[in-house]
Amino acid sequence: MVSKNCLSDRADSRGCATEVLVELFLLDKGDFANSIDGTWLEALFMDGVMDGVAVGVVSAASRLPSHKHAIAELFQVEGVDLTEEIISRLGVDEVPLCNGESGSDLAVAAAREALERAGIAGSEVNVVVDYTILPQEYMVPVWNMSGKVQHEVGAESAFTIGFSGGGSSNFLVALNFAAAMLAADEKMKNALLVAADVTIPGNRVLNPSAPVSVLGDGASAVVLQRGATAHCVLDTELCSDGSNHDVYCIPGGCLANPEDPSLYRLVLDKARYDAAPKTETLLRLAQRVLDRASLGLEDIKRVVYTNVSAEDQAAFQQTFGLGPERMCTSNLAGHGHLQGTDLVLNYLSTLEDSSLLPGDPVLICSHGMGFMAGVSLIEV
Amino acid sequence: MNATIGILDAAYYLPPKRKLLADIFRDEKPQDDPLAANVDFKRDIGIEAVHVAEEPASSVALQACRRVVEQAQIDPRDIDVIVDFTSIPEDYIAPTWCAAGLVQKELGATRAFATAINTGGCASYQQTLKSVCSLMSTNDRFNLALLFAGDKVPEFNHNYYPVTVVCDGGGAVLLKKNHPRRVILSVEVATLGKLYDVWRVPGFPHRDPDHPEDHSWMHVVGDIPRFNSEVIPANLFMFRKVMRGALQRVGKKAADVQYYIYPTFSSWDQRAFCRAFMIPLEKVYTDGLGRHGHLQETDMVLDYVDAMNEGHIRDGDLVMLTTNGAGFSWGAALIQH
Repeated sequence: MVSKNCLSDRADSRGCATEVLVELFLLDKGDFANSIDGTWLEALFMDGVMDGVAVGVVSAASRLPSHKHAIAELFQVEGVDLTEEIISRLGVDEVPLCNGESGSDLAVAAAREALERAGIAGSEVNVVVDYTILPQEYMVPVWNMSGKVQHEVGAESAFTIGFSGGGSSNFLVALNFAAAMLAADEKMKNALLVAADVTIPGNRVLNPSAPVSVLGDGASAVVLQRGATAHCVLDTELCSDGSNHDVYCIPGGCLANPEDPSLYRLVLDKARYDAAPKTETLLRLAQRVLDRASLGLEDIKRVVYTNVSAEDQAAFQQTFGLGPERMCTSNLAGHGHLQGTDLVLNYLSTLEDSSLLPGDPVLICSHGMGFMAGVSLIEV
Repeated sequence: MNATIGILDAAYYLPPKRKLLADIFRDEKPQDDPLAANVDFKRDIGIEAVHVAEEPASSVALQACRRVVEQAQIDPRDIDVIVDFTSIPEDYIAPTWCAAGLVQKELGATRAFATAINTGGCASYQQTLKSVCSLMSTNDRFNLALLFAGDKVPEFNHNYYPVTVVCDGGGAVLLKKNHPRRVILSVEVATLGKLYDVWRVPGFPHRDPDHPEDHSWMHVVGDIPRFNSEVIPANLFMFRKVMRGALQRVGKKAADVQYYIYPTFSSWDQRAFCRAFMIPLEKVYTDGLGRHGHLQETDMVLDYVDAMNEGHIRDGDLVMLTTNGAGFSWGAALIQH
């Protein structure tokens, strides 16, 4: 029998020395089959322990690049005419832009801030959930920045998970699954949700022929906790329209079109986007959520929505019959559209409203560019 | 609430075209360095040929989805959630896009919402099982879920030296609440985030604009020294962690497991797994290795289906599905037949 140190040395020097590593493994911890504790442990996963367990947002944070560009300059750089009509329709003055920062660095900073605000150490995080929607430093899904975030915040005991598609609604997808995991698994206490969206260079004006939005760069993070006593996630409704699966996508730079650099940009099929019943679908989902909570739309104190454009926000307010005082629109002008981070920014701004009282219901809504509609109900 | 969730059905699709390993090695020229004194990557891997898709990755996935829907004889309009767990690049760029919406459209699954889980590498199936079972367990509205993946590697990237040679194909699984057979008892997942940059695909921004014909930016790149010095030594310990976790959650012991589904990476990897955990080779499904090599996350579906069809798994058996994946994550799921 060789010693453990000897085996370690051999493994280091010979790389993929499978046999040596098996020896090392067996020496170090003994026999797997005999090491399992045979006592009956509660079957936590499937026994309905989730009934009555509250999951709430205990903190949130955003991290935006300090560098900002006026949209007049961005339109000029991208060769798009900027008219008064477009300025009015978009409602965006300037957007934050990365100037050397990487998306994952912003995400790590946002995650650290959210954890600090929650008073939680990285080691207490059970799952890191990525809701980024734009391309990351390397190609997703082979690579995902959630691993880097896990490492950088010291969440050694966590596993990572990330979601794709659905524009800003990807945040609500992540929220829904993370809340379900925390509710279903007694061993899990804290989830760290995180995203960083960095726009493809030269691709900030969405749909240049008839601009729909202006995209900025930014990151955000949210800490969800099992057993929270405030800001509880009560319910979520999600609905996707498969016929619009590619209404908002990057058609090049992947298997379908690997050759053409001009296709490596975020495009919106405006005809399908315009035709999609975006706010009407959201109203339908909101009514379902409210019915289950025995609430009416009039009971909702505030609504959190995305910053696609002033025109889009106005359409939403009209469909929902909301006065401007019930929805945060103040982040649009200075940030533009930051994908799922819009919802975190606007949620944080909504919480600053002193007229909001503990227990007040808040809706978070996103149409996911006509593909994925989502509504979450939170009791602050 | 009864949260018994079972595998209603599972299916896979392998494209008809096959490519012999010798032809892959001829075209891709993997390194010749021996992995260890007694292991030669080309000679010992145990794979004879792989399948090669000529259709898009989403079509491969869709074929598997259609098969599972047909086998289970369900109405796609009854599906509540569709989750794509593909772990390699798809038709369009992720995370902006995923194939789940396309599958929703093509199947006519109008009631569902469609999303994708884009982490875990080959362990994305276990991550997806954990997520979807949680959703179904905590919510009366989710009773039927379709999970799928479709893999098509770029041309000349079938060789993942020093790990495996990969195959194209798709897998699909239907989960049903209150289904008393093939019940998912527990799922355990773990990630070692410090290994986040060991295995990656560079992506389009990293291409060489002077050589547009060079698609190596779509090929996997492994930091082999770190893979050898950090991933391999941790591997068995992480396998033990997730398998032990899955067993402990339901008060089971390793001795209770009748059968294992383990990735078809290579013959030496399968042997090492069996030896480390003292599992007889006949309790692990290894037959698929020679026929098709490794199908990323779809190994967990393909090998499970074949093991059932070939009579390796019987009623009453406790089955462990375990794998590792780039990122790096490890996953284990216990299925009670």
